[in-house]
Amino acid sequence: MILAIETSCDETAAALIDDAGRLHANVVSSQAELHARFGGVVPEVASRRHLELICPVVQSALDEAKLTFDQLDRVAVTQGPGLIGALLVGISAAKAIAWGKGLPLVPVDHLLGHVAALYLEPVGLDPPFLCLLTSGGHTLLLDVQEHTTFRLLGTTLDDAAGEAFDKGARLLGLGYPGGAALDMLARKGDSGAYSFPVARLDGLDFSFSGLKTALLYAVRGLDSAELERRRADLAASYQHAIVRALVERTLQAAEKIGARQIAVAGGVAANSELRRALAGAALAPVELCTDNAAMIASAARYLKPLMPPGYLGLDAYASRQLA
Amino acid sequence: MLTLALDTATPRSSCALLEGEKLLGERETKAVSVLAAADALLAEAGFSPADLERIVCGTGPGSFTGIRIGLAAARGLALTLALPLAGVSTLNALREGAPGSLPVIDGSRKEIFTLIEGRPFVTRPEQLAPAPGTLCVGDGAVRYRALLEAAGAEVPPDASELHLVRARFHARLATDFGPAELVEPLYLRIPDAEKALER
Ligand SMILES: Nc1ncnc2c1ncn2[C@@H]1O[C@H](COP(=O)(O)OP(=O)(O)OP(=O)(O)O)[C@@H](O)[C@H]1O
Ligand SMILES: [Mg+2]
Repeated sequence: MILAIETSCDETAAALIDDAGRLHANVVSSQAELHARFGGVVPEVASRRHLELICPVVQSALDEAKLTFDQLDRVAVTQGPGLIGALLVGISAAKAIAWGKGLPLVPVDHLLGHVAALYLEPVGLDPPFLCLLTSGGHTLLLDVQEHTTFRLLGTTLDDAAGEAFDKGARLLGLGYPGGAALDMLARKGDSGAYSFPVARLDGLDFSFSGLKTALLYAVRGLDSAELERRRADLAASYQHAIVRALVERTLQAAEKIGARQIAVAGGVAANSELRRALAGAALAPVELCTDNAAMIASAARYLKPLMPPGYLGLDAYASRQLA
Repeated sequence: MLTLALDTATPRSSCALLEGEKLLGERETKAVSVLAAADALLAEAGFSPADLERIVCGTGPGSFTGIRIGLAAARGLALTLALPLAGVSTLNALREGAPGSLPVIDGSRKEIFTLIEGRPFVTRPEQLAPAPGTLCVGDGAVRYRALLEAAGAEVPPDASELHLVRARFHARLATDFGPAELVEPLYLRIPDAEKALER
């Protein structure tokens, strides 16, 4: 039995998974409301809340699974990338729990975690596959050769797709974090109403920063009544441009490496238009797309654990190390 | 009563192991390695984590991240091993290590954390008005030595151990052992983003 902890951004999460990969608990305490009034995640505010929530969240995962600390075999924790102060709360608590019971610790990369959401039932995917990992901070095309080894095929040169969703949502007055709200609004709009440019780059990289500028100009030209009337059309057209860029590049990458299987993970994989556009692909379940600890637990099953006291000096890292 | 005490609020963090009132060992450590220090102390004394009977944690003030590293470890340990936890202010522990002194912790941003009439405050070092001859200790006292000495205070040499936060003094001051969640961080500052919103 593995206890996994995730505190890389604004979700305090704990999950329990058994040796067969079956989830026994998956608790996610979101701080989204706490950060909404700031219009984005404030690292210090997030870190303070993680400290308040970490023990209650771990305890409720154990309660949900009807387990005690004595029944654990390992502890897993997100080491990075993410907010250092936030990560360190989870890492410090995870070390204490593992050390207290003399258990091994498994440091897990957050991005590997997003991919590992696909290994869980009901998707139950196994490598090799091509993965589009699209989240709040990353947009990656990965050639996943083994459960924990990837080759990077493409990445964003500026904003991540999730960031583009969030910035677009803010321009449309949808609050923070706005990806899911924009998705909802877009359903009522005409995706052909506006034509937003998608950057054409060589290779398999992405660029989304031009898109939000285009939306800014479109919104600026409208008075508030007009904006209200066109908001759904703007959302639908904007979303369509992001999804088209993601899908085009993913299909190009699949062709280039001759991938037989395509998969999508990360927060933006929850987007309904993207899910429809890549219906033939393996899609992470919606509740496992945004940050959670089940995906960290899933990744931990394939990683080598560190023995005590070897992990007691473990530190967090802020930016991508993977691939 | 086997007691583990730790404080990670300052860059030179500390961990101590005590049997009753007897100090078995104390180590200076980086905040992220505080449990490595704890492990070494236990091993040296022939114990393991399961032998611990209570925990004492420094609550700050100091580095926000540092405070949280210690409290997350202390609360996690208390939860896992079902142990009582007590919190002790880093300022009080620093003063306990140099009786009669005024503890001064570097708060960065040209500010310090100190005790004013026994209560913790954040202020600018120029605002401190120590009575002549007051012994000032802590990394803030070292940093603002010139200013404090000009005001008539005494500051021990930089290398003096009186400037160090030492966890044995937390153990000595700890009285209220109880549920881990009742031990709260002492930040003394609200996040900048909240301040900006208030404006
Ligand atoms: N239905 C949706 N449509 C579009 N975007 C969405 C949807 N649901 C969530 N998102 C976006 O997903 C992102 C959050 O995903 P995730 O939690 O994976 O990101 P993160 O953890 O902040 O970043 P990273 O994983 O890159 O470090 C946000 O940008 C959010 O707006
Ligand atoms: Mg994420």
